[in-house]
Amino acid sequence: MKNVTIICLLLAGVALVAGSATAGDHGGDIHFTRPVEAVLFSHDIHVDQLGFDCDSCHDGLFEYEAGAAEQNGDFTMESLYGGGYCGACHDGETAFASDTRCATCHEGVKGYNRALGKTETAASHH
Amino acid sequence: MILKKELDMSRNEGLENLGSEERRHFLKMGLVVTGLFAGGTLLSLSSGARRVFASSGEFAEKYPYKPHYSMLIHVDRCIDCERCKKACAKTNHVPDYGYRTTILERDVSGALAGKREFVPVLCNHCNLPQCTRVCPTRATYKDPVNGIVQMNKSKCIGCLTCQMGCPYNARYFNEEQMAVDKCSFCWESRLSKGEALTACAEACPAGVRIFGDLSDPNDKVYRGIHQIEKTVWVLRPEAGTKPNIFYTRG
Repeated sequence: MKNVTIICLLLAGVALVAGSATAGDHGGDIHFTRPVEAVLFSHDIHVDQLGFDCDSCHDGLFEYEAGAAEQNGDFTMESLYGGGYCGACHDGETAFASDTRCATCHEGVKGYNRALGKTETAASHH
Repeated sequence: MILKKELDMSRNEGLENLGSEERRHFLKMGLVVTGLFAGGTLLSLSSGARRVFASSGEFAEKYPYKPHYSMLIHVDRCIDCERCKKACAKTNHVPDYGYRTTILERDVSGALAGKREFVPVLCNHCNLPQCTRVCPTRATYKDPVNGIVQMNKSKCIGCLTCQMGCPYNARYFNEEQMAVDKCSFCWESRLSKGEALTACAEACPAGVRIFGDLSDPNDKVYRGIHQIEKTVWVLRPEAGTKPNIFYTRG
């Protein structure tokens, strides 16, 4: 029984992180919320538009599970600069370097809220 | 010599088509390239002094406060994680219907910039604040020593004239306090207690908000603004309030 609960929680977690992704044969939009809110990884762009296959990233860099990387203590910009995670390609040669064009991947709290369908709380003086 | 009027009517072709070498060449002469026309054969230029310093007439030597608190915002580093906003709200007890600082978002189509840009905003602690001029009870005032635009909340009658006077939308009415509330560079909560940084600057994980003293030539805010490599600007310079929040990229 306990195992079933854990599996359910895991599935719920995956669904939550994956958000409203319209995943075809890939993972759709992945919103990373740790260590900062939030970063959007688009499978659409990387798989459908750029033509990478699953093994390009899911062969050591990332597990086939949304949110798994965020559990690791080293899922940081520092790791990326050292060639880890996204930094394996985003090194300034294969793709734009991880320490440039910040807001290309960082969608922020605003972008994440939009993805969740939340509207911003309006400030009182508008 | 082309007339300014004709230039205004021409289409600006965008600075991204101009080499950085050429731009730097003009910057070293104290000029900033503001436009590119007619296939790059015409450039419009403005004085670098006017662009870089809020107080163009007084230029570098005149920062009237000691310390002259200021913030330099590296706008392209902002990722809208909003840790600054959360830290500010927690430190200064800001309710969720208002803000002392927030992050704006805008679409940019520049070649290097990516798709969007996040712009942190807060009170500009102007040298010539309009808010203090229009306050009928002098509840808001400019501190004569450190230049922080402050609120004496017991004097505030909630008329909101200061909100209308502020070009930066930096004030909200705090219903619990029955007074207007605004950024004070964390004077009460931090600076007056010996902290060097505002809560927002300390909380930023990306080095966006550089807080310091413009009257000190060794301060990193002073050095970040008084250089010729990067363009530095202020928001809404046409308001003429001589703001103390500066923006740059890189």
